[in-house]
Amino acid sequence: MSPFDKAWSPYAAGILIGLLQIPAFLIIETALGASSSYVTVGAVITGLVDPSLLNIDYVAKHIAANAKNLWQVALVVGIALGAFVSMKLSGAVRAPISPIWTRALGSPSRGLRYAVAFAAGFLMLFGARIADGCTSGHGLSGMAQLSVGSTVAVAAMFAGGIATALLLLRRI
Amino acid sequence: MSSVAVGILSGVLMGMVFGFALEKSRVFEPGMIVGQMQLRNWIMLKVFLSAVATGAVVLAILHGFGFVKLQPKAALYAADIVGGLILGAGIALAGACPGTTLAQIGVGYRDAIFTLLGGLVGAVAFSYAQPWLARSLIGTGPKLIFTDLAGIPYWQGALALAVTIAVILVLIERLRPWRDDLGADVDGNGAEKTSQPRSRLAPAE
Repeated sequence: MSPFDKAWSPYAAGILIGLLQIPAFLIIETALGASSSYVTVGAVITGLVDPSLLNIDYVAKHIAANAKNLWQVALVVGIALGAFVSMKLSGAVRAPISPIWTRALGSPSRGLRYAVAFAAGFLMLFGARIADGCTSGHGLSGMAQLSVGSTVAVAAMFAGGIATALLLLRRI
Repeated sequence: MSSVAVGILSGVLMGMVFGFALEKSRVFEPGMIVGQMQLRNWIMLKVFLSAVATGAVVLAILHGFGFVKLQPKAALYAADIVGGLILGAGIALAGACPGTTLAQIGVGYRDAIFTLLGGLVGAVAFSYAQPWLARSLIGTGPKLIFTDLAGIPYWQGALALAVTIAVILVLIERLRPWRDDLGADVDGNGAEKTSQPRSRLAPAE
């Protein structure tokens, strides 16, 4: 398990991720999560064009410059940095698009992949915000806290994901 | 330092650890996430359940000794089911979740930039619709946790969950060792795996 390895055991990585709940609860008094940050960033950008969006209570709550909101934006920026550092240390080189997409989408077209990715991102965040959490907030944090609602959300998430991957995508 | 500065600094540091672990485990790869959803690759479930079990043990201790308050989300069944299904469909088509999208951008996957943009637009679209959705679909609900329903302390349920997950993971690992799911380029791409036996059938010269 050296920082120069290309792959660690999923158990070691999972334990490391789970341990992040310690600083999250002790320093920020919140649980790990990622999807709220999309509201914070998306609303701040959109607010430049349409300030009326910022009057919605839900939005105001997410763009308040408090520790919790900015912590989560910093967290997702940190995820990109951490993944970049890990990749550089191991010398892994990635193509601009994962080779699985040619098979999954049945086409090598980059334009098609970009369009599907955009639509997928939209669905992901629209759904996560309806459910009030994503794989991190409901999954990692909600299930660890034995939350009833989060367990229902995670079951629905896997049901939706499995149905979509089996019905709409080709076998990778 | 102000609490905002502490939040940003701790967020970046924690995010870097998070991103590092996502990259090392390879779980951020579209091949792993789509593979998991097609039930042919089990690395995502292994990382996910290990993190849940670890979080449960950590919180059992921190909460059991009174250091922290739990922060469960409200149980909103209609929203959890509808939102969860849409989120899951998005995860399968993105080959990513909201957090791993950033890890994909970090390693240079260009389609992940479109996933991120779609995500920002989706979050803004939800924000515009939120006042209406809150009334029509989401509603309000109690912050229910299973141990309250069972009438036992949280730490007992959390440790029981961690033990149950550990047993499940041992069984899954026995059926499917994690190295078998990595793929030749550690991206969960199984194509090389199936093409190797075929090339061996070809004459050596």
